[in-house]
Amino acid sequence: MRIAVLLSAGRHPVSGAAVLPRLEAQAIRMAAGLGEVVGLHAGPDSAAVTDALGQGLSRIEHITVPTGDDPVPALAARLAGTTPDLILAGRRGQGGDESGLVPYALARALSLPLIPDVIAADAEADGALRFDQSLGRGALRRLLVRGPVLATCHPDAPPPLAYAYGRARRGSIETVAAPAIGAGPIPALTVEERPYRRRPKLVKGAPTGGSAAERLKAATGEAGAASAGRLLIDPDPEEAAREILAHLRQIGVLAPPGQRAPAPSLPSQM
Amino acid sequence: MSYAFTGLVWLMAALALVQVSRRALLWRAGAGAPVAWLDGLAKLPRRYLVDVHHVVARDAYTSRMHAVVAGGLLAASLLTALAILPPLADFRPYWFLVALAFGVTAVGSLLVGARRYPEKQKRLSAGRFQILPFLLVAYAVGGTLTALLLAFGGGGSLLAPAALALAAAGGLGLAFEVRHGPMRHAAAGALHLVAHPRPGRFEGRPDTALQPLDLDAPRLGSEMPADFTWNRLLSYDACVSCGRCETACPAFAAGQPLNPKKLIQDLVAGLSPAEPAYAGAPYPGGRAAQGERGALARLIGPDARIHPDTLWSCTTCRACVEECPMMIEHVDAVVSLRRHQTLELGALPAKAVGPVTDLRQAGDPGGRSLGARTDFAAGLDLPLMAARGEAPVLLWLGEGAYDLRYGRSLRALVRLLREAQVDFAVLGAEERDTGDLARRLGDEATFQALARENIATLAQYRFARIVTADPHALHALRNEYPAFGGHYTVVHHTAFLLELIRDGRLKPGRLAALSVTYHDPCYLARYNGETEAPRAVLDAIGVARVEMGRSGKRAMCCGGGGGAPVSDVPGERRIPDLRMAQAAETGAGIVAVACPSCTAMLEGVTDRKAEIRDVAELLLQAVEAGR
Repeated sequence: MRIAVLLSAGRHPVSGAAVLPRLEAQAIRMAAGLGEVVGLHAGPDSAAVTDALGQGLSRIEHITVPTGDDPVPALAARLAGTTPDLILAGRRGQGGDESGLVPYALARALSLPLIPDVIAADAEADGALRFDQSLGRGALRRLLVRGPVLATCHPDAPPPLAYAYGRARRGSIETVAAPAIGAGPIPALTVEERPYRRRPKLVKGAPTGGSAAERLKAATGEAGAASAGRLLIDPDPEEAAREILAHLRQIGVLAPPGQRAPAPSLPSQM
Repeated sequence: MSYAFTGLVWLMAALALVQVSRRALLWRAGAGAPVAWLDGLAKLPRRYLVDVHHVVARDAYTSRMHAVVAGGLLAASLLTALAILPPLADFRPYWFLVALAFGVTAVGSLLVGARRYPEKQKRLSAGRFQILPFLLVAYAVGGTLTALLLAFGGGGSLLAPAALALAAAGGLGLAFEVRHGPMRHAAAGALHLVAHPRPGRFEGRPDTALQPLDLDAPRLGSEMPADFTWNRLLSYDACVSCGRCETACPAFAAGQPLNPKKLIQDLVAGLSPAEPAYAGAPYPGGRAAQGERGALARLIGPDARIHPDTLWSCTTCRACVEECPMMIEHVDAVVSLRRHQTLELGALPAKAVGPVTDLRQAGDPGGRSLGARTDFAAGLDLPLMAARGEAPVLLWLGEGAYDLRYGRSLRALVRLLREAQVDFAVLGAEERDTGDLARRLGDEATFQALARENIATLAQYRFARIVTADPHALHALRNEYPAFGGHYTVVHHTAFLLELIRDGRLKPGRLAALSVTYHDPCYLARYNGETEAPRAVLDAIGVARVEMGRSGKRAMCCGGGGGAPVSDVPGERRIPDLRMAQAAETGAGIVAVACPSCTAMLEGVTDRKAEIRDVAELLLQAVEAGR
């Protein structure tokens, strides 16, 4: 299996030093052992990603893209040429020139399915890929995917490998020619950078009183609407439909009976 | 008859030489090392009689035993060998002298035997060492009888061949044992003293800085015996398996899988597949030796001679080096092996990866903002070097500044400096970690990068001295930065505070009601030889000071050095618990500390009866009491 790990010129969230983003280091570890792994970076300078050589990669391909240009067309052209079975990327940017949108733009450009928030990947005997996808709060979903696919790495994946200076020294960075396609500037994004501010986490509908156990139940979703459901075993289809409708009305998805959604009002009814 | 006897000694010498040469062939597998041969040879007697004796004499019985048996053996053998000269061979009173020397050896041999029979002392190794007393007794008694017969002119008697045969059995046995057995320590030990990799330690100053690693070398660190320099391989051969290191080792005491003696013996056995089986205390946890052996065999690995957990258990406290009568440098071996694991394989212990990565990427093992280092001093208004450009004293804060508990100690220090009107400044956000943690964990690349950045920062400012409360930072700045071009006068805060007291700039009152025992930080006492200043400060404030059983340069580690807290290798007990139990034996209500690691480790002990206070905190209390 051939795997490409997308590498970005990241910044350390605290020190601001140019580093390999943790998520991408985790992606490298996830890819190691699955097959032949190559790192791929499109940007003005390959020095930004040399760290990855010490953290598990032995080869990086670098496509020179001038500062300020969109790396997506160059990456897409390269990946369309090399056709790796799996493309791994981080799930979001952490400062610097990272936007976090490249995996999505690439998936669209290459018409590949994108599996977000993967914490483990494994190859089945028949060539399919088995992913463990994080659904948050420790919940996992197992996915079986055939054919080339793009996946992004979740922070719950195994921690990155230690940086080994000797390995970084032995690894190689190849500069591959940028494809002759017009790579325009990065599509304008209206973004604003603000220092991070810690906000209190509000739990919607949490009771302020009651015992600690009740508040915990409310916070973890084991109370309220979800827990109030009724369990019907092998119901009559009519009855099941009524129940579903009643539930949808209860949680406000459908309007209550008899109170039809207002028809588009005509300008002159009177 | 006399010539047969003399011939025996010469034959023994020849056999010993052959056996040493066979070892020397093994040492040749090691890397090259510059050795000042003539200088070392000239200084051998002094190194042996002063430096080695200083260590051996800590155990009075062993010291006397060794003086008698080794002195007797050498004297008797030399005298007998000299009898190859005809005038001596026929001079009967000479043989009385020889008999006397052999007699002394015989007494020593019995002293050697008494350590092993009827029951062997726990720290000693068995195996071939158990035969040693018999060989010694045979040689000494046989020699005494032969010399007496020659002295009385009974060389032709029927007893003579029997006595000579006894001496030959013992003597040739001893010479044969130079290759694999106990007598190897004598030959390799003498050569080791000549070709010691750290000759500076015999010059009366601590030579404890790790040697810088050439990061452009084709192989980094030691993977196999051949990666060590030849004189280090020789030094491991000098090990006499006395087990003093084992009794001093904190990790061994805590039941972590490290035994310095076994580690050195594994390096010996790893080099030579013919080495007889190890017969001392195993690594706690009892892992049998396995894996390939030979100069090119991998030493570290779950399936190799030394398990990685053994390597990462070491706190680099140097207690083993301090206790070793053969002057072996265990910590250098550990760090050299760690360097290969970390730099070439990235095989750091899982829990240490995070701190080392943060150290590399953010300049702090906690990944914290460098600007937050001075947060502990909120309200104290620390002057910044960047704003001043120069100050007589640069206060190096170290990693402890981020710790809430240790922040109290640093606040006390800052208030004392204010009280004494010391003009000082801190680097603030410009101060990076010294890289001590990375270096002890084998990440020399990160250490060197941090050292260069810190040296570049320090070069921008003018200051006379660096004062720090962190002995780890002190050791790096004082002893390890010079190799990278940073030469500074570095003073530990206890020494600086003592100076302020002696100059009359601090006038502490007396806290006679307190009973205090002082815990020596390894990096201050053993690495830098500073044991007196903190005690003098405590005496100046009039506390009742009691010493623990292990103190000064022989103190036990708190468990906080060498990256051991982040490696966190499981053991049966915790090192700080053991140390606090030793402190409790003194009955002191306060354990005085002088290091952020010791503060954190000892304060983390549950159910402790004593309070943990930094020397600066106690002094501040005394100064406030004296107002």
